Amino acid sequence: MERMIAVDRLARPDNHILAPLERMFQARVDQGFSPTNVMPHEEDFLKGRLHGIAVGEMQAMEAAGRTLFDFPDAPWEFQLDMARQVWDESRHAEIFIKLLEYVGSYLGEFPETEVLWSCTQIDDPACRVAGINRGLEGLACDVFDQIIRLAQRMGDEVIERAVDYVLADEITHVRMGSKWMRKLTEGDPERLKKAQDFQDNIDNLFNFQGGRTAQEASPQVPIEVGGRAIDFDSTLTIAREARMLAGFTDEEIERLLKAASRSAAY
Amino acid sequence: MSSLGERVNVLGPQPIFERFATPPAMLAAAERILNLIAAGDAEALSGMATATGAAELAAVATAVRPGIYDRHEIIATARINYHHYVKARLYGPRAEPFTLQFRLGEESGEWRVWEAINLTGRRGAWTR
Repeated sequence: MERMIAVDRLARPDNHILAPLERMFQARVDQGFSPTNVMPHEEDFLKGRLHGIAVGEMQAMEAAGRTLFDFPDAPWEFQLDMARQVWDESRHAEIFIKLLEYVGSYLGEFPETEVLWSCTQIDDPACRVAGINRGLEGLACDVFDQIIRLAQRMGDEVIERAVDYVLADEITHVRMGSKWMRKLTEGDPERLKKAQDFQDNIDNLFNFQGGRTAQEASPQVPIEVGGRAIDFDSTLTIAREARMLAGFTDEEIERLLKAASRSAAY
Repeated sequence: MSSLGERVNVLGPQPIFERFATPPAMLAAAERILNLIAAGDAEALSGMATATGAAELAAVATAVRPGIYDRHEIIATARINYHHYVKARLYGPRAEPFTLQFRLGEESGEWRVWEAINLTGRRGAWTR
């Protein structure tokens, strides 16, 4: 089996629609929407967001599996952690596929993009866990926290509890990433910097051109979900509390917030 | 994705929202486009593309030799808001299947192609 498989070699069933991220954003621009992922105030937010997470969980499962396979000389405990993560992500994928049915959607209603899998394209396990476990799983903490808050406002315990269970796992994945990023780069500051830079690149990729803010800075706008009128975030929020639980430092969270506000300028 | 089955007799949470109904007019436009591609009718096809999608649709149509495909199937659809990706395959008795994907969206009340790609020999628009 091939190691370090490229972005354009990921296997998918024939009846699966794949589209590059920039094409998906262009499709939104062509309809008068912002060139980002679906935003909280849009009619399709829950369907679109849960779909993005479902395919994201699939790609996260594949990413952890590939990390296990790509680095056979990594410590045994590292391999065990990656194997556990594959199991977690597969369970998450099933949970989100069922949540899709719950909100009247299905896997395949929206196209899948390559953006998460593109974050695996590095040949150092320290960078891999920095990018995926700290970058992407940190982003998952933000996204899940926002869905949980939306479900609470909707009064929907099914979504709230299901996503909360998954968030608990994601927090452990971030912690796992932090542990291995440090262990694998012990005594090698250059390698540590390379891993942190790789994570920074991924964090910047998901700034969504200013579409992200701190939770407390997100203007509340009236939206209608399932016939119920509520006030909710107008931006994609960064979840300080969940990130703190996952072991991100204040400084790291502040840096993320600053980067998000900077990107609003262009 | 297979359905989780008949839900109304099952205990537990039931779907809270309706499924989005794929517009029949969009599917009819997709069928028409596939017929025009198989027939090699470049002029009619250009009338079904937006200004930005015309060149890509023409490139896909040029890759198809007219008259060798006599049937087609829509393999999948997926939407981004109110635009729809359509993945389809053309078949002919003496030709290798031709696979393409295009995005349809309404412009001035007509379904038009906004982008198109030849997927023959590939898995998807970002995979080989």
